[in-house]
Amino acid sequence: MGVERAIKSFCSLMVIYTIKRIATAIPILFGLVTAVFLITRLLPGDPTLLFISPKVPASVAVQLRKDFGLDQPLFSQYFDWLLKVPRGEFGYSFTYQRAVLSVVADAFANTAILSSVAIILEIVIGITVGAFAAQFRGSFFERLISMSSLVVYTMPAFWVAALLLLLFSNILGILPSSHMHSVGVEYMSAGDYWMDSVKHIIMPSLTLALPGAAGLARFVHTQISSTMKQPYIMAAKSFGLSRWRILLSYALPNALLPVITIVGLELGGLLSGALVTETIFAWPGIGRIAVMAVLARDYPLIVGCTIISGAVVIAGNLAADLLYSVADPRVKVSA
Amino acid sequence: MKNVALACIAVCLLSFLNSCSHPKKNSPDGSAVNNIAVIGTGADLETINPVFAEEVTAGEIGELIFPSLVDADFDTLQGALRYSPMLARSWEYSPNKRDIIFHIRAGAKWSDGAPVTSRDVQFSYELYGDKDLGSVRQDELDGLKKESGGKLDIRKCVEVINDSTVTFHFERFSAAQLSEAGLPILPMHILDTIPRAELRNSTFNRHPVGDGPFSLAEWKQNDEVVLASNRTSVLPAPAKLAQLVFRILPDHGSRFEALKSGEIDLMTDLDTREAIELSKSSTTVRVVATPMRRYQFIGWNNIDGERYAKSNGAIIVPHPLFGDSVVRKALTMAIDRKSIVNSLMSEYGREAIGPVSPIFRQAYNDSLQPLPFDPAAALSLLKKEGWDDKDNSGILKKGTAKFSFPLTIPSGSPFTLELATIIQKQLRDVKINAEIQQVEESVFWQQVIGKKFDAFIGGFEVPLRLELAEFWSSDLKKNPFNVVSYRNYRVDRILSETASMTGGQASDRLWKEFQTILSSEQPCTFLFWEGNVIGVNKRISGTRFSILGTTYHAWEWNVQ
Repeated sequence: MGVERAIKSFCSLMVIYTIKRIATAIPILFGLVTAVFLITRLLPGDPTLLFISPKVPASVAVQLRKDFGLDQPLFSQYFDWLLKVPRGEFGYSFTYQRAVLSVVADAFANTAILSSVAIILEIVIGITVGAFAAQFRGSFFERLISMSSLVVYTMPAFWVAALLLLLFSNILGILPSSHMHSVGVEYMSAGDYWMDSVKHIIMPSLTLALPGAAGLARFVHTQISSTMKQPYIMAAKSFGLSRWRILLSYALPNALLPVITIVGLELGGLLSGALVTETIFAWPGIGRIAVMAVLARDYPLIVGCTIISGAVVIAGNLAADLLYSVADPRVKVSA
Repeated sequence: MKNVALACIAVCLLSFLNSCSHPKKNSPDGSAVNNIAVIGTGADLETINPVFAEEVTAGEIGELIFPSLVDADFDTLQGALRYSPMLARSWEYSPNKRDIIFHIRAGAKWSDGAPVTSRDVQFSYELYGDKDLGSVRQDELDGLKKESGGKLDIRKCVEVINDSTVTFHFERFSAAQLSEAGLPILPMHILDTIPRAELRNSTFNRHPVGDGPFSLAEWKQNDEVVLASNRTSVLPAPAKLAQLVFRILPDHGSRFEALKSGEIDLMTDLDTREAIELSKSSTTVRVVATPMRRYQFIGWNNIDGERYAKSNGAIIVPHPLFGDSVVRKALTMAIDRKSIVNSLMSEYGREAIGPVSPIFRQAYNDSLQPLPFDPAAALSLLKKEGWDDKDNSGILKKGTAKFSFPLTIPSGSPFTLELATIIQKQLRDVKINAEIQQVEESVFWQQVIGKKFDAFIGGFEVPLRLELAEFWSSDLKKNPFNVVSYRNYRVDRILSETASMTGGQASDRLWKEFQTILSSEQPCTFLFWEGNVIGVNKRISGTRFSILGTTYHAWEWNVQ
């Protein structure tokens, strides 16, 4: 009964904490969106110029601006838009000529796939490499990992992408250089289709994952190294346990707790990395939509992308905090 | 902790696996999977509806889905457009040649089975001419006969005689008539049911019903546009390819890599280095350059753009630096155009002397020589105009004014930046300071069209009918593409006279005079002509890369 009560109390605390965090997130998101809404409209450049030739009479441009709602004063545009948001109407994309929500939803699904795979790769590579480096303390191998992870960590996404393209696509010719699928994929067998999907996602996800993985490896390395000096590790050693058993059973689980926070914060990094990665690898995700929307001065779409990206970053941070309190019983969320 | 991590990984994997759920389709015809050609393109389309389509790719796709009455071809020997039947099986002129009677081909059907009739032709022209719709092709109806008062009544000037006959009435006989009658034809039975105000955002623009050799099979946002052979088309026949896919690869470098690796079969706008690399080392890709129709130039603002813009076009005064033709001539002489062509363009460029393309063989003035590259003579000309470096500051001055200006270029173009840097260096040698100012592309064109610049580097593609009034006529408000605000009344006369001619020696003489005037006045510095350099995989056969477009007659393409 006591345990049950404790669990119930913990769960209700979590719910209250989550609600509080969401309530705090709303004004942040609101401020972000308001800033983006106003800044984009103050940028030089006229979206109607993209749709009509300068030869077309000025009256047509006026009509188009009216259709886009751009003839209204800035604050009127803003409040009109704001009133529609609770109904799930984020406006109409000038370039796609569709509802923003539908454009963003399509693209976001693709970005979610890419980011999911990237985050798994980042965690697996980062932890594995970091743990190995710690296990071989003082060796050449440790120094090599330490130096190379620093190099990779500082590499910009476009450079990582260029190197991967050169190696896997240009020299070895084993991976496709762009898109989610090959042309004619719909006529492939299920196995070939799946393999085609895997081949297409390797390079973009590695581009997103590698710098983060390098940072994570350095962090895990440091964490494990300091954990290895703890008295309980000394005790385990005195019991004659093997190095690997000590690492996997004692040092690593304790060193990994802060990783949850890092991975939660990484979500924002993945989304910003997607701007470059998706453009280079022609991945039809939200990063590409956002770049295109900015270039085309597609104001509603820019704001739509901002809302989604902002919400994901906030959700990532919240999830990290909640997971942390679940993973470490010593950490309690306070309602 | 372990469970949480495993749960996270499981969710991620599931979402990926879900994306790989396999919607297998049967191939459109037996060997279809191997009979697909892929074109790499830089940006997604906005619409496929030719009434609104502004970009080149959308225009080309539109022409493959919605053929017009006539099929145009460019006669490279004569340097003129030629027409053959398409939706119209034949046509005839009225005795005064102001009217053309078109006979519609029997058996032409929309992909939903409805017949194509002359009413579709009339209706399409109503859409192009509808002022409220603001079609980008509106100005192509200028030659149609107008009512008293200058109003255009499409129902009268595109007259339906019966279901298979339609007559176009023009103001006067001109070489442009067939071109004006050659706009893509759209299905009336579908578009007439959509209110005009909703047409720009209509689903038809993404799911069109056409009658051409290709139909739209699929349009995946930001990913690819798939055209499939339209098996029922008689305009002129179903495409030989099972599919023509336009894959969207925004990054030029990635597009080039995809071409080399065979992921795409064709890409346009190769730069010179890429073209040379492919020509030398690729066994799978061949390089083709279309005739030169695009010229690059340095636009010197002939008028004070600031004052022009502020006064809404009421005040037109010469630009303080570039208002004088002698100064502009000196600037051209200070720039080594020949070495620019040799170093940047190689065999894919040709030094330009004016805005009449060498493709117009009869009208091109080949007796004109480019102004020589002569920095000493340039300095001397500038000195005569009062520009001197008396205080040895390294910059020319006239009174208190320095010869220093921003040279605006669009950002994101390494080629233009390289070109601008060379020009900046060469101007520096004659003590002129050009500050390179990179501006985001849409803002760049807004500034250029609005005349809010001093100097810029840009390019124009000339129309295939030799009509240059919109680029060089003095009425600046009516001709926004006269971006340098050049004004010369003799040039206006020539442009007006040639517009009413149908070619011939008299017209050619006038065009040669036009080029001579521009060469002497140097409204801008013409740098070079360039064609579209295309890389195409050798497995694609039947291609005929015309000046009219990359996918010209793509229904004849095949995969070997």
